[in-house]
Parts: sequence; structure tokens; C-alpha cells
Amino acid sequence: MIPHDVFAALADPTRLEVLSRLANGGPATATELSAAMPISRQAVTKHLAALDAAGLVERHAAGREVRYTFDPEPLGDVVRWAENVGDTWDRRLGRLSRSIE
Amino acid sequence: MQEERFEELAGDITVERSITLPADPDTIWERLTDENLVGDWMEGDVSIEARPGGAIIMTPAEGTPVWGTVEEVVPGRRLQWSWRTDDGLPTQVEIELERVEDGTTLTVRETLLPWTITGLPPQWGGSPFPRAFLSAAA
Repeated sequence: MIPHDVFAALADPTRLEVLSRLANGGPATATELSAAMPISRQAVTKHLAALDAAGLVERHAAGREVRYTFDPEPLGDVVRWAENVGDTWDRRLGRLSRSIE
Repeated sequence: MQEERFEELAGDITVERSITLPADPDTIWERLTDENLVGDWMEGDVSIEARPGGAIIMTPAEGTPVWGTVEEVVPGRRLQWSWRTDDGLPTQVEIELERVEDGTTLTVRETLLPWTITGLPPQWGGSPFPRAFLSAAA
């Protein structure tokens, strides 16, 4: 079963950018992320909450703020979904090819 | 490694496969749209109405049926439909045929639909597909 909230989290371009910044730039707070992006801290916080719900980030207390770290684990489900779909089409196209030759 | 994997997923979530077959596009098209032939390679009983708005239902030998709607039909060139299982994610399938020197290149793309994130599209009303229809089609 594929978790829908993981796909939901990945489907929003801004949320994807927040996640991309965490994945490529390392852990950050909402304040740090909003300083680097053209959106408010409040908007960043909202996106981080969605990413947290999908299990794509981990939260750690950092003084009065929260520091977020990218957690790639749920993406494994997406990769497995893509592998299954690819395997199915490989089998289908193999059969189609044999039916023609 | 983790970052690579993430970058790979940052675009559309699409699976693509391509194959060149030693036959002309019309022959391949027949195998895509003739109900007596399509099940042989799709691995199951397939019912397809090859017209926009037509129904497509595949009942695999094992696993749950997949059902949906044909969206685009350009004979000998292009076939597109969207489908889903009762408990699975909706996807869109695009098949394109291109005549090449030694036959026909078939390209298939299966993409997770954006409205996966917002629930089912309006025409499906978020309600389960009627089981009776599946039995009737089987």
C-alpha cells in the first residue's frame, strides 16, 4: 500500500522546494528556510507540518525553534511503486513482442 | 545516495518504457485496441472501448481489477487512458506509436495523476466503482 500523504507532500512545488533545501542543504529551521525562499515563515511552517505528517522530515528542538531534518525513508515506497509499474510494463511489452514475431 | 534518489523523484512521478517491434503501426494498434488480442499481452481479461470516454477494465489473472476511462484515441498513433484499482492510486497511461525503419517504436508512460493528492476526480465522485459493473464486464 502506498501512503497517499507522501505523494501529496511531493506534489506541491513549494513544498518540494522546502524538502529539496533540507535534502541538499542539511537541517534548517523555518526561519532559516523562509529567509532563503520568497515565502513567509508562516507558509514555510505550514509546508513543514505537511512534510512532517508524511514522515519526510524529523523535528529536533533547537532553543526556542525547531530544526527540521530530511528523512528519505518514505520515498522508498515511491521507488518501489515505480519499480513495480516498470516491471509490469516490461512483462507486457515482452509478451506483445513475442505475439508479433 | 539519498540525495540522488530524492532528485530522481523531484519531477513527475512517471514510469516510461520503449520497445521497437517488427510490425507496422496498424498491426500494433490492432493489438492495443482489439478486445480479442489485447488481453493476450496485457496479462488479464481486458475490456476496452477505444473512443474518448469509453471504459477500460482489466481483470488480471491474479490481483484486483483495474478500471478507468479512455481519454484520447488517435488510430495508429496514440492511446491514452486513466485508471485505478479499488484500493490503489489513480494513474494515467499514454501509449504512442511511431513508424521507424524496421517497424514501430512503442513508448508507454504511466504517471501518477495530480489529483491523487486531492482525492478522486469529480466524475468518479469519490465513491467505489460499482462491483456489479465489474462482474458484468468480466
